[in-house]
Amino acid sequence: MKHGWAWALGLLAAMAAALALRLPQLDRRPMHGDEAVHTIKFDELRRTGSYHYDPYEYHGPTLYYLTLPSAWLHGGSALSDTAEGTFRIVPVLLGAGLLPLLWLLRDALGRAATLVAGVLTAVSPALVFYSRYYIQETVLLFFTLLTLAGGWRYVRSRQPGWAVLTGVGLGAMQATKETCIIVYAAFAGASLVTYLWERRAARGTADMAPSRRYGWWKGWVAVVSAAVLTSAILFSAFGTHPRGIVDAWLAYGTYLDRAGGGIHTHPWYYYLKLLLFTQYVPGPWWSEALIVGLAAVGTAAALAGRGGGGGDIRWLRFLAVYTLLLTGLYSAIPYKTPWCMLGFLHGMVLLAGVGAVALWRAGRRRFGRWALTLALAAGGAHLARQAYAAGYTYCADPRNPYVYAQPGFDVVRLGRRVEELARQHPDGRRMFVRVIASDCWPLPWYFRRLERVGYWESVPADADAPVIVCAAELADKLQPALRDSYISSFYGLRPDAALLLYVERGLWEKYLQHGPSGTAPTGKREGGMPKPKAPA
Amino acid sequence: MANRRLCVIGVVTMLFGLGLLLNVGLAQQSEEPVKAGAASPAPAGDLVPIDLKLPKPAFKGTPKHVPPGSRLEKPRSAPREPFLAPQGTVNVAKDKPVTSSDNDPIIGSMKLVTDGDKEASEGGYVELGPRLQYVQIDLGKPHKVCAVVVWHYHASARVYHDVVVQVSDDADFITNVRTVFNNDHDNSSGLGLGEDMEYWETYEGKLIDAKGVPARYVRLYSNGSTSDDQNHYTEVEVYGQPVE
Repeated sequence: MKHGWAWALGLLAAMAAALALRLPQLDRRPMHGDEAVHTIKFDELRRTGSYHYDPYEYHGPTLYYLTLPSAWLHGGSALSDTAEGTFRIVPVLLGAGLLPLLWLLRDALGRAATLVAGVLTAVSPALVFYSRYYIQETVLLFFTLLTLAGGWRYVRSRQPGWAVLTGVGLGAMQATKETCIIVYAAFAGASLVTYLWERRAARGTADMAPSRRYGWWKGWVAVVSAAVLTSAILFSAFGTHPRGIVDAWLAYGTYLDRAGGGIHTHPWYYYLKLLLFTQYVPGPWWSEALIVGLAAVGTAAALAGRGGGGGDIRWLRFLAVYTLLLTGLYSAIPYKTPWCMLGFLHGMVLLAGVGAVALWRAGRRRFGRWALTLALAAGGAHLARQAYAAGYTYCADPRNPYVYAQPGFDVVRLGRRVEELARQHPDGRRMFVRVIASDCWPLPWYFRRLERVGYWESVPADADAPVIVCAAELADKLQPALRDSYISSFYGLRPDAALLLYVERGLWEKYLQHGPSGTAPTGKREGGMPKPKAPA
Repeated sequence: MANRRLCVIGVVTMLFGLGLLLNVGLAQQSEEPVKAGAASPAPAGDLVPIDLKLPKPAFKGTPKHVPPGSRLEKPRSAPREPFLAPQGTVNVAKDKPVTSSDNDPIIGSMKLVTDGDKEASEGGYVELGPRLQYVQIDLGKPHKVCAVVVWHYHASARVYHDVVVQVSDDADFITNVRTVFNNDHDNSSGLGLGEDMEYWETYEGKLIDAKGVPARYVRLYSNGSTSDDQNHYTEVEVYGQPVE
């Protein structure tokens, strides 16, 4: 009992650490293009009350429905009233919500392994980084773990409620992102391997085909019914768009083509390399090798039948095979983005808990166990430090391996500057802004408070406007199309893309005269910075 | 008749000589390197190239195309010409104490700014936090500053914002502050409007002609870059001579 309390407190502390690493400064990182697209998709749902699933682009509706409470709580009646935190709080809560779900797996993993897995879930740099990212990946991971936990509890208890929960998890996975099909394949493969393994182990004993003893088909009916129903409800936008149910299945054709890779093609070892060691010299180095290494030990222990520590060896075997299959499948698909690794990374995190306990039990002397405990604590602290660096200090830095096609801080400056200019313009927020760029994301997010923003993919014949934002590669064509006199400034969009801000000369002079806030600038600042410190 | 012939020969010879002189003069002018400023008291004949050693290029592909109308310097297609300064001009910032507006750099220490290592390698730069930050070099005593060369971070193509270089005799930069470079064209730094151009970081660093201005302290500001919001300083060299 005493240990039970300590264990529960440990899991609560891990939960607190998870929130502490995920929750602060949700506006720290500039909006990614994908995140900006999702905010616009959410706005469509908010405005129309319905979500029309597109089988060719975007993803399922769960992320947007889950954002509704946050938007209501923020009192936002329009996109212009929202902030980064309105959206990013959703993956933050689901990312931290993985820990309470671990409680449901305590007798599958073993209590000690669950606690270690909880701590690693809290501090894994990739899990922290993408828990602050308004995309579907953390939502998919949450529903994946919900499915695993529900399935395990059903196997343990045979209570239909757990079967229904498992089905809800499966359906919600599908309604989150199309890549759930890869997870389903890993589920199926791991279930089959575990079943065959059990049959082989139980050959000639009374335990042969244990599942038949419980009327297994009832459970399957409950799971499948709940999954289909959940998916149908969500894809049909609660009955307002029945076509979504059909499109949900048609989408797999599209995504099968996309798996070819295109600009996101990476070699098979991309994810493993990223997890083991990454350094863009000169710059900091990154590694989640502790998790991968412990997961390898955990996998070996599970497959050898030595999970121990109070866990269920069948479930651990299932987990090991599932994680191996999922890692293999994602690695084999040419299309790779770093956030896609969350699914198998979390499998590794669970196995790392098993691996840590297996190592601890293998240490026969007290000194060895203490040394291992200290080493794990130091490794965990290092992961937490990396998580902070990834999520805050280097949140948009190309040297951060989790950063992918990320706009830099210039895009925030640009958004702020255009708003400041609008304050000086007689039309205010109705000042006309012309954006000329084939890839303009995430600018619509930063211009959401302006009422008249037009987007062009090529230079129009008459391009004049008080403010023009133009892709650097189109500037040659823009220049002849301008009649007024403009002042231009250079902004980076991403490391490989730049934007030019053209401001009509009169407006620019007014801006310089009145300053960013609309009041006269205080003049030249001298000696206003903090006093220098003594040299190091 | 003979006189007339002599006269023609004389005129032709004079014209030839004049042409030759003009030709040589023009040729000299076209090859003339950048000279240290007009404020330098040294006679033009004493000017020599400063001993500026460049690090290895760390990346290829500095964007060559500069959008028309932008306040961005066109990258050179050839190496920078030698900078001429009075004889005896050396890097007087080497190993001199450096202070900063960021008391807790993200990476590295202030010593790296003047340690002589300007390679884009691991452990070779100090990384200051976001927003407007500065590093300040104390030259120990007043110097005639001919040039300041700064390498922010030249491992990838990027443009640093609000690059402002000031010199002063006052460590707090309150009095007698002179700005030798300023590319903050919208006064977002609050240091005044600048007319200088923004530029791509390269292994050559940015050479700023300080025109022999006398000062003891050199302060360099920056406000993030097109890549991230941190402020990096790999090396700063200050070429000058002690004020006698």
